[in-house]
Amino acid sequence: MAVINHQKPDRMPCFGANCTATYEQMEKVQAFWPKAHEDGEAMARLALASHTILGFDAIRVPFCQTFEARALGANIKPGKLPDNMEGIPGIDHPPAFRIDDTPVFPNDFLFRGHIPELLKAVSIVKKEVGDKVPVIGGIIGPFTLAGSLIDTIPLLKATFKAPDKLRPWLELGEKAGTALAKAIIDAGADIICCEDMTASPELIAPKTYKELELEFQTKQFDAICVPTILHICGKVDPIVKWMAQTRPDILSLDTKTNPKVVREKCGPDIVLLGGVEVATTLFLKGPDEIRKESEQAIADGIQILAPGCAVGPGTPTKNLLTMLEVAKEH
Amino acid sequence: MEKAEWIKKAIQSILDTDDEAAKEIAQKALEDGMDPLDMINEGFSEGIRRMGDLFDRGEVFLPGLLIGSEAMSAAVEILEAALPVEEQQKKLGVIVIGTVEGDIHDIGKGIIVTMLRVHGYEVHDLGRDIPIKEFVEKAREVKADVIGSSAMMTTTQLGQRRLEEALKEAGMRDKVKTMVGGAVATDHWAKRIGADMFGETPQDTINKLEKILN
Repeated sequence: MAVINHQKPDRMPCFGANCTATYEQMEKVQAFWPKAHEDGEAMARLALASHTILGFDAIRVPFCQTFEARALGANIKPGKLPDNMEGIPGIDHPPAFRIDDTPVFPNDFLFRGHIPELLKAVSIVKKEVGDKVPVIGGIIGPFTLAGSLIDTIPLLKATFKAPDKLRPWLELGEKAGTALAKAIIDAGADIICCEDMTASPELIAPKTYKELELEFQTKQFDAICVPTILHICGKVDPIVKWMAQTRPDILSLDTKTNPKVVREKCGPDIVLLGGVEVATTLFLKGPDEIRKESEQAIADGIQILAPGCAVGPGTPTKNLLTMLEVAKEH
Repeated sequence: MEKAEWIKKAIQSILDTDDEAAKEIAQKALEDGMDPLDMINEGFSEGIRRMGDLFDRGEVFLPGLLIGSEAMSAAVEILEAALPVEEQQKKLGVIVIGTVEGDIHDIGKGIIVTMLRVHGYEVHDLGRDIPIKEFVEKAREVKADVIGSSAMMTTTQLGQRRLEEALKEAGMRDKVKTMVGGAVATDHWAKRIGADMFGETPQDTINKLEKILN
């Protein structure tokens, strides 16, 4: 928390803004997917593993991106992988809504789907760690949530052909994420992380971010009273200036984005989190390469060492521990 | 109108991502006596190639490429319908492609499929969330030269490795080339699992495919 408050911490913090759960952690704490996606107690046990097993400096809940979408009526697909492995649930096809439908925010939103279990998990984790370790609650950004409801392809086409038709969906997305954030804070979370994957320049044009998402994301962060993290995947150079204008406390960066560029474009105040590539380095390589990548990221201006995105569940514990070792040396 | 004019209009309709104009140009060019193959190869395909270049350079973004490739497909469909069977283009190779099981992301794959077809490949698109055995069965059925698999998540990329193993088990690995794509794939990943290539962008995929098939 010292880093967020612009004080000098005892050492560099290390934690994930996105999911850091792995199969090895599930085994150790005996909390497995899919149960840990939908049952508050199992979710809390697995979330705590990021601190008890990895030693990370914050605990993130939950592990998937379907809570708001499910509560708003999206069709959800279980996280089944080949060889009976468990992954994270996703949005099923065909989409539940069409762009011309009228978006509705249900009054009982917070009581729908698995949201009550998520809130339960946050309060269990908070009770367990008290004020020793910050708890991060995850929400989904307006653009990504709109895509979960009307499907990504119609969303992308509309950015080009009929951007005004997207506004009611972005409004709904903002409202849902903000409502969830407030409930998560009431349950005990210290930080809110907003993941907005679909707002990446790898999917939408940068001007779409500026003209559509900037307004809704700013409104969302203005309504959240605790420190916030904004995570957008991919190389965000063309939009990072506007990301910072939405006023998060921390920007969580994919390794495709150079922290030096972000610092230049966003000024000295914003805290930068990120460091190690998840699909190739953390999952497939070993401690030597992880150490090298971490050191480079720190030299480039990363202030909180973290995986660059959600970690693959098959990632070895020793690789994640290496990141913490490096952070302890700074 | 002169041929050069028609070709220019066809290219421009793709760069403008104007599907209605693309269809109208295809139709009117046929009525004006233009050769459908010239309109495809020099016109609409050239348009999408230029879009691909602009995309690689970061001057055009995914929604533009998506709508541009749909406009091109619609125009090519009209032109192909006017081609006599014997004049239809010789296929460069047969490709089976899909997004691996557990993964429902297929925007990038959809674009690659369109681009591969434009460049003269016969493409069998299995869709999204495809079990490994379906890739193997389809490849056997259509005598595929290449199998492409896409994965967008760290949770699903292991499916690409399973595909390599399944092809070995089926005794087919030496008969087909494999390519991997998707947000989490890299050259390192392709080498590590034994895939023949990694395609980063549409143009990169087309270039590397030519190399591994020749």
